[in-house]
Amino acid sequence: MREEEVERLRAIVRDCIGRHEYASATFYAGRVALATADPLDIYMEAQALLLAGHHRRALHLLTSSPPLLRDPRFRCLAAKCLEELKEWHDCLTMLGEAKVDDDGNVISHKDANMMNLDKQSDDHEINILSAICLLRAKAYQALDNRDIAKQWFKAAVKADPMCYEAMECLVDNYMLTCEEEKRLLSSLNFRKEDQWLYAHYSCMISKHEKSSVLEAKFRDLEEGTSGLSFSNSSSNKSPKYNADLMACKAEYYYQCGEYQKCFDLTSAILEKDAFHLKCVLYYLVASVELNRPNDIYVMADSLVKNYPNKAVSWFAVGCYYYCIKKYSQARQHFSKATSIEGTYAPAWIATCNTYAAQQENDHALTAYRTTARLFPGCHLPMLYIGMESMRTRNFKLAEQYLLEAKKKCPYDPLVYNELGVVAYHMKDYEKAAEWLELALDNLAFPLSELWEPTLVNLAHSLRKLKKYHKAIIYYEKALALSTRSLSAFAGLAYTYHLMDKYDEAITYYHQALWLKPDDQFCTDMLNLAIEDDAQTRKDFL
Amino acid sequence: MASKESCRNELRHAVKQLSDRGLHSASKWAAELLVGIEPDTPSSRPRTSGVTPLSSTLRHRFRAIAAAESPATATPPAGVSYVSTPIPSDDTDNDDYDSYLLAKSCFDCREYRRASHALRGQTGKRAVFLRCYALYMAGEKRKEEETIELEGPLGKSDSVNTELATIERELSSLHRNRSIDSFGLYLYGIVLRDKGCGSQALSVLVESVNSYPWNWSAWTELTSLCTTLDMLRTLNLKNHWMKDFFLASAFLELKMHEEALETYKRLLTIFRLSDYIQAQVATVHYNMRELDEAELIFEELLRTDPYRMESMDTYSNILYAKESFSTLSFLAHRVFLTDKYRPESCCIIANYYSLKGQHEKSVLYFRRALKLNRKYLSAWTLMGHEYVEMKNTPAAIDAYRRAIEINPRDYRAWYGLGQMYEMMGMIFYALYYYSKSAALQPNDARLWNAMAHCYESAPLGRIEEAIRCYKRSADCNDAEGIALHELARLYGELGQADQAAVYYKKDLDRMDAEERQGPNYVEAMFFLAKYCKSVGRYDEAEHYATRLLDSTGPEKETAKSILRGLRASNSGFASMEIDHFAP
Repeated sequence: MREEEVERLRAIVRDCIGRHEYASATFYAGRVALATADPLDIYMEAQALLLAGHHRRALHLLTSSPPLLRDPRFRCLAAKCLEELKEWHDCLTMLGEAKVDDDGNVISHKDANMMNLDKQSDDHEINILSAICLLRAKAYQALDNRDIAKQWFKAAVKADPMCYEAMECLVDNYMLTCEEEKRLLSSLNFRKEDQWLYAHYSCMISKHEKSSVLEAKFRDLEEGTSGLSFSNSSSNKSPKYNADLMACKAEYYYQCGEYQKCFDLTSAILEKDAFHLKCVLYYLVASVELNRPNDIYVMADSLVKNYPNKAVSWFAVGCYYYCIKKYSQARQHFSKATSIEGTYAPAWIATCNTYAAQQENDHALTAYRTTARLFPGCHLPMLYIGMESMRTRNFKLAEQYLLEAKKKCPYDPLVYNELGVVAYHMKDYEKAAEWLELALDNLAFPLSELWEPTLVNLAHSLRKLKKYHKAIIYYEKALALSTRSLSAFAGLAYTYHLMDKYDEAITYYHQALWLKPDDQFCTDMLNLAIEDDAQTRKDFL
Repeated sequence: MASKESCRNELRHAVKQLSDRGLHSASKWAAELLVGIEPDTPSSRPRTSGVTPLSSTLRHRFRAIAAAESPATATPPAGVSYVSTPIPSDDTDNDDYDSYLLAKSCFDCREYRRASHALRGQTGKRAVFLRCYALYMAGEKRKEEETIELEGPLGKSDSVNTELATIERELSSLHRNRSIDSFGLYLYGIVLRDKGCGSQALSVLVESVNSYPWNWSAWTELTSLCTTLDMLRTLNLKNHWMKDFFLASAFLELKMHEEALETYKRLLTIFRLSDYIQAQVATVHYNMRELDEAELIFEELLRTDPYRMESMDTYSNILYAKESFSTLSFLAHRVFLTDKYRPESCCIIANYYSLKGQHEKSVLYFRRALKLNRKYLSAWTLMGHEYVEMKNTPAAIDAYRRAIEINPRDYRAWYGLGQMYEMMGMIFYALYYYSKSAALQPNDARLWNAMAHCYESAPLGRIEEAIRCYKRSADCNDAEGIALHELARLYGELGQADQAAVYYKKDLDRMDAEERQGPNYVEAMFFLAKYCKSVGRYDEAEHYATRLLDSTGPEKETAKSILRGLRASNSGFASMEIDHFAP
């Protein structure tokens, strides 16, 4: 074949690949490769075969000439084929031996030459080393070797911070604790122009920061002041409409318990990008919190129609059943989700929660432990184990787990609240008050109704410490958030009773009984208060 | 005070602006007030003291006083000048007027969610208000429906307005940015009140009325939040003639009757024909137990505005208290034909049945009134009374409690609760409730009697406190005359015969004055006869003993023996008479 003819065919192949006409692409690529036997053409043929779904043929083509495999790009492609074929061991062998340490630094002499190699490669692609690390990570993850997988994911991001997929896997699968995430981020070397990416990553990992700090971060990113300012005319496509970033924000709102905001934001994003899956997830969970089964139903229905092979679709169905309190059906669908995607954390946690909701303590604990093992960076299973243990009045154990959760995520106010409750049950009221004050300090948003129990708990602790005036302040704060809290009214009444202020005590006991007429404690105490009051009353005579 | 012309002008604008925002009852109120301004006769412009267009004696009298005072009270004392609040113009510039029209129409058709949706994303103040208000109304409507659907055993339910949080979030951020108008503030105020943040609601509502004083609904909310005089005094309100309306109604609520009457009198100088003021004045009289005066005003009111519903339930209460059966029957039939599904009319009909002794039917109508308006205070209390008549203690207690929940200043409900608990033998509780009641209405002898009775009875047995209560009762012109007798009896039991004699004497004098007889009469005379004899006042003793002879029963025999004793210790002139009277 003539040179220009070959050139033309190559162009056709590239065009066919661009147009997803893989059969034509393989045909022409085969002809070109046969004619030239150029390694680059062989690479192109393998590429076309892989895209056409002929994984085995592509692999065969690549492995048939061993010299080729010295080039890391060929090995990477071959490994990709093996990944598609789900032959994980072979995949790892293909990628070659390498060691990685805890921080994701690759310790390998062999790869040194590869480093040199891709220095020449131009800026427009992600570092090949990073791609190799990512493949290794995925293989290890598929082999259930999550520790090593985690290290390779880290290595992938470190090799090239542009490797978004690795970062996403690390964050979404809760592989790292908050501390580790921060450390990883600070160890990455961004190019000057990529500062916006740094900002984006930092938004991805910050779930428990103060709202003001984070709002500022998001604002910076939205206005594009962090560097992603397009010099040309495309600047109107500012990242304001960036669904990924908005999804991060939604996640943040969800973590802080601002469910309505989360719901509003995700609904807005989904109007523009109906199946942004991360967004869908937060839309679902926010709807569960807000108890909107109807919205979940519609979403689940369209998800199952459009993405029947995605875990999130079945997770959505599970959410619907969870929301209408049919827990066993919910569980069935959650486990369907986990069987589709073993690393889908929300479905795992939701499964555990269905057990907890049905008061099946043992099952719940087992499930939480499994989840904790699968997602070492996620503090929620630990927290929930702590809560379950508390329910069975196993306070010592609960405390241990909660401290563990605190180690993983020292920013979640809920952990501090639970620690406070444990301390309260163990009659260490000083400590309980301390923990609960920490919980309030860690709140990212101004107090909402969600935190009314924390305030009441704190007030109870202060009452036990005989700091009645302070206790009353907190009870009143709690009542400002919600006027339907039996515990706050009863506590307030009891505090006044202890201070011998019968009139106030009687008023608040009445309020409490108005909410729950058969409350034994309040009935008894009201009797006492009224008798004491009658015996001592003189005031207006 | 502001001139009639300016009031008229302000009110005309207000009616338009209020109804533009769907604040129907406030706009009705303003319109009613507008026609209540006396028209200027061409001859004598501002002061028309001689001319009264209606010839009711009472009105005449009342208005004559008001008119006479008008020059002096034209500006309030102490040189307070009224701040003229500029009438805000509507900001129609950045509204999408067409979608506002759609929203308003939907709102008027009670399609609240649709109204709110039609205004989504709009930032004009009027649009924001109407959107939020429609959302609030939607939430309220849903809440009402849920209340009926999920009714608990005693009609209690936990349903709440689910839109509150959303509305509050939006309005509070607007409030922080100071980009909220007075209507928005009013809505913010009621949202805060519904959430139970009373003090915050109060300050927001004050802000609202200071910037836009013509929204009567905002003033009404303020009235219901001001539960003590101190709170009322600490409110930082701008001077405006609407403030006087507020103060007057707050005085009425706080039972400061004189002050209320005074303020209304002043207001009558401008709003001479206002039915609202007449009704309020009548209510004050009713609260002062001046039933006849109140009845007169109400009669007049019904003549001028025969289809009026507001405050007519008070009129029916008056008729009930006076037991004027035929008038009440007439009123009940009239309101039945006017609009039978108004809470007021149901209440009137219930009163009618109650007076007829048909308590089941009465309860039925009270229930209906409460279905129409859950916060209808007097219906809860009155229904409690009906249940008492029907001996349904739990239902009565519940009704009273609901009344207290709505307004903890309702002394009748507290008293009712006390009665119920006393009936169940829970004296401590009864005492507590009675004392609440007495603290609210310290001039009502019945309450003190009830309290005293509690102190006296078994588990407490604190006679001294009981005596003090009875003394309070006696100070309040105890109409039933229980206090004096009980005081005498208690002192007698304590062995303090001197004190006992004083009170028996007082009681006797009272009964003589009222020409009443009965066991108490006999007892008093019996005690006094013995007492006078024992302290050596034989003439008096003889006087009482002689009067005792008219009675029947064992006392008569004792009286005879007393007289015999007297005769023995004194001269023997009386013996003949005794023999003469012997059977």
